[in-house]
Amino acid sequence: MKRITRIAQLTSATALFCSAALLPFASLHAQETSQEQPFTSVITPAFTPVTWERLMNARNEPENWLMYSGTLDSQRYSLLDQVNVDNVDQLELKWAYQIPVIDRAETVPLVVDGIMFITEAPSNVVAVDAATGREYWRYDHDLPDDLRICCGRNNRGVAILGETLFMSTLDAHLVAIDARTGNLLWDREVAPHETGHSKTAAPLIVKDLVVTGIAGGEFGIRGFLDAYDPETGELVWRTYTIPGPGEFGNDTWSGDSWQNGGSPTWITGSYDPELELIYWGTGNPGPDWNGDVRLGDNLYSDSVLALDADTGNLEWYFQFTPHDVHDYDAIQIPILADIEVGGEQVPAMMWANRNGFYYTFNRATGEFLLGKPYATVTWASGLDQQTGAPIRVPGMEPTYEGVLVSPPIVGATNWYSPGYSQDTGLFYVTSFDGEQEFFKRDEDFEVGERYTGGGGRYTQPMDAFHSSIRAIDPSTADIVWEFPIMPRSSAGITTTAGGLLFSGTADGYFFALNAESGDELWNISLGSRVHAAPMTFAVDGEQYVTIAAGNVVYTFGLRD
Amino acid sequence: MGFGFTRGRRRLPVSLLAVLACSVAVDGFINGPVSYAEDAGNLYNTPFDIRSGERYFERQCSRCHGFDAKGNDETGAPDLTGRLNRASSDAGIFNIIREGIPGTAMLPVAADVPDATVWQLVSYIGSLRYDPSSVDLAGDADAGRELFNGRGECSSCHMVNGRGGRMGPDLSRIGENQRPEDLLDALVDPNADVDPRWWTLRVTGPDGETREGFRMNEDSFSLRIMDADEELWSFPKNRIQSYDRIEESTMPSYDQRLSEDELDDLVAYLFSLRREITE
Repeated sequence: MKRITRIAQLTSATALFCSAALLPFASLHAQETSQEQPFTSVITPAFTPVTWERLMNARNEPENWLMYSGTLDSQRYSLLDQVNVDNVDQLELKWAYQIPVIDRAETVPLVVDGIMFITEAPSNVVAVDAATGREYWRYDHDLPDDLRICCGRNNRGVAILGETLFMSTLDAHLVAIDARTGNLLWDREVAPHETGHSKTAAPLIVKDLVVTGIAGGEFGIRGFLDAYDPETGELVWRTYTIPGPGEFGNDTWSGDSWQNGGSPTWITGSYDPELELIYWGTGNPGPDWNGDVRLGDNLYSDSVLALDADTGNLEWYFQFTPHDVHDYDAIQIPILADIEVGGEQVPAMMWANRNGFYYTFNRATGEFLLGKPYATVTWASGLDQQTGAPIRVPGMEPTYEGVLVSPPIVGATNWYSPGYSQDTGLFYVTSFDGEQEFFKRDEDFEVGERYTGGGGRYTQPMDAFHSSIRAIDPSTADIVWEFPIMPRSSAGITTTAGGLLFSGTADGYFFALNAESGDELWNISLGSRVHAAPMTFAVDGEQYVTIAAGNVVYTFGLRD
Repeated sequence: MGFGFTRGRRRLPVSLLAVLACSVAVDGFINGPVSYAEDAGNLYNTPFDIRSGERYFERQCSRCHGFDAKGNDETGAPDLTGRLNRASSDAGIFNIIREGIPGTAMLPVAADVPDATVWQLVSYIGSLRYDPSSVDLAGDADAGRELFNGRGECSSCHMVNGRGGRMGPDLSRIGENQRPEDLLDALVDPNADVDPRWWTLRVTGPDGETREGFRMNEDSFSLRIMDADEELWSFPKNRIQSYDRIEESTMPSYDQRLSEDELDDLVAYLFSLRREITE
C-alpha cells in the first residue's frame, strides 16, 4: 500500500543561473512510498541534436522515430522487436494525449531521445515526455480567418534537424521552432494562402535543406516543391511541377491551362543519399474532373519526380496517369529498397498508386520494371509492360450525366503511408475496391476559389465495398495475402523486426497482424477513426507503439 | 534612483492617450437597427456602451474568460486583453460572439440577444486594449535594442525572433500583451509576477542526483524541467526522493543596474516587440 506524506516547509537557497539574490522558496517533499521501489531509470534522457548523419542512419537508432516515414527510404520498418508476434497481445495502454482542438488527427509524431513531438490541428505542435505523454511545451500557430483548404484542418507532422523543428501550416507558411522550448525561430510564407495554397505535410530534411511541398490542387494553383535554408528560412530552390513556357512539357497543357493546373506536392517524399536523389509524388491536374480545358498529358501531374538534392533539377520523372480526369493524385510516399527483380538486384522504388496500379521502378534510372492492378480498376485495362503507361478503357471520362468508374475519387489508396518489411520482403498498402459515378461540370477559374470541374457520387453504401490491407510481392506485383477491414481505411502501415504489421481502421480499431502471413494477432477499439500512421520507439529500453485516432494520441506498451 | 519595487512609486515613462475612442457620434439607441458584421464600424462605442458591454461580459463571459478578461488555462479561454488571435477587427469579434467557434467551448450568444448588445460587448473588449501608436514613450526603442543585445545581456536569456537564449521567456511579442508600466515593473521587480513556467524546481532523483531547472510543467504525478545546460528532464513524482519549488524569477532586478533613461529605452524596445501584421 502506498502511504503518501507531504511536508511543506520554508527554507532558503541561492537562486539559479543569473540572480545572486537570496530568495525564499517553498520546499515540497515528494510523495514517498512506504516501500522502496526498485528502478532502472525513471528519467527521460535529454535529447541531443539531430544531425544529418543521424537522419541518414535513423534505422540504426530504432528507439527514435526521427522523420515522418521513419527513415529516408520511407519503409516505415523498425528494427525494434521487444514487442513481437509472441507477445503483442500483451500490449496495454500506457498513456493518451488529448488534442485540445477538436478536428481529426493525421499526425505521425517524432520521438527524439525520449521526447515526442506531436502536431495538432490546425497547425500546432506539442512536445511531451514520450514515456508518459505529459507536456514540456507547445507552439500555437496564429492563423488568419480566411483559410482556403480543401479537406479539413490537418497537419501530419514535423521534421527535425539539429535542435529545430520544421512544420507546415495551413496558411501555407513554413515555421521553424526551437525543439527545446517551442520558441518560434522563423516563420516563412511559402505562398499566399488567399490564392488557395496551404500546407499540411511534414517536411523532409535532405542534407542541410528543408524540402517541403504545397497543397491547393483543388484551387487552381501551380504546384511546386521547395527547399529552404534551415537556419534562415531563405528559399534555396523551387522546382515547379508544371513546366513554364519554353520548358519541356509546357506543351502538354493546352492554352494557358498550365497556370492553374494544380499538380501539388502535399505529402512527404523520400531520399536516396547514395544517388542523391529526392523522390516526390505530385497531385492531380486541375480542374480535377474536367480535362477539356487542359488537353494534353498535363506534365508533371500525377507523377513521381526524381530531383537533384542540391539544385532541385529534374533528373527523371514517371507519369502514372497522363491527362488524369479522375483525381488520381500520385500523392503516395515512395518506398525505396534494394530488392531482387527477375534475378537481378535492383535499387527499387515501390509505388501503389491511387489509380489502382502497383509499380516497381529502378529508382536510379526511372525505368519501369513491372506493375499491375492491386485493386479494382475499370478506367484502364492494364499497363503497357514496356513503358508502364496505362491502357485506357474508352468511355471512362466523367460526363455531365455521370459514369461509373473504379477506383472512386478517394482512390484505391491515397496519401496514407504504405509500408515495407525487410524481413518479409513484402510491400503493404491500405487498399479500397470501390466505384463511383464521376461527373463533369464547366467552371471558370477564379483566384482563391475551388476549381474542380465536377465531382463524384457513390451509388452503393460504403459497406458494400471491399477494403483491405494487401501484401504485395514487389518483384512480381502479386498479392501475397490480404486482410479485410471495414468500410474504408485511411490509416498508414508500420512494420517491425518483431514480425508485426500495425495499422488502423475507419471504424476506430488499432490492430497488429503477422507481417508474414497477414494473420490477426491483436486489436483494440479506440473509439474513433484512425486517420494516421502508427510509429514505434523505445524509452529506457521499453518499446512503445503510438497511433493517433480521433483527437487522441494513444501509446501502448507491454504489460509490466 | 531611489525608487522601490512597488508599482506606482516611480514615475511612469509613458502617458497613455485616448484609450477609449469616443469620437464617433452615435444615437445611443441600443435596440436600434440590426448591425451586420460586414458593416464598416461599430456604432455602439460610447462610454455607456462600453459599461453595458462590461456588465454583460461579467455576467455571461467571465466564467470562462475571467472577470478581468485575462483568460483561464483550465477552460482554455484565451486572454482577451492582448492581441486577439482569431479576430483582427470589430466585425471579426462580433462574428465570433454571434456564431461561436466550432469545435471549442466558445458557444454563440443566444439568438435572441440583440446585435446591439453584441456590439456593446465588442466595444468593451476593444476597450481592454489600446492603440500602441497612441502611447507616447519617453525611451528610445533603438537604444533599448542595443541595450537588450549588448550591455543589458538580456539576449543571453531571452529570445526575440529566434535569436537569444532559452533561459527566459521568448519576448518576440511581449509588446502585444503588456503595457509599458507592466514591462517596467517586470524589469525592476522580476519577482512581483512570475509565470509558473519560469519558477525553478530542484529535484533529487531516484539516482540521488539533484537537478535544477525551469519548471516547464508540473502536474499531479510528474514534473518536467529544463536545466542550466538546456537539457530536458521528466520525473514521475513517486519515484523521486524530493523536490523543491522556488517560486521566484531567475532574472536579476535592473533597478540599480541601469539608469532611468536606460530603463525607459528598454521599455520602449520591449513595447515595440509585436508580430508584424500584414493585412
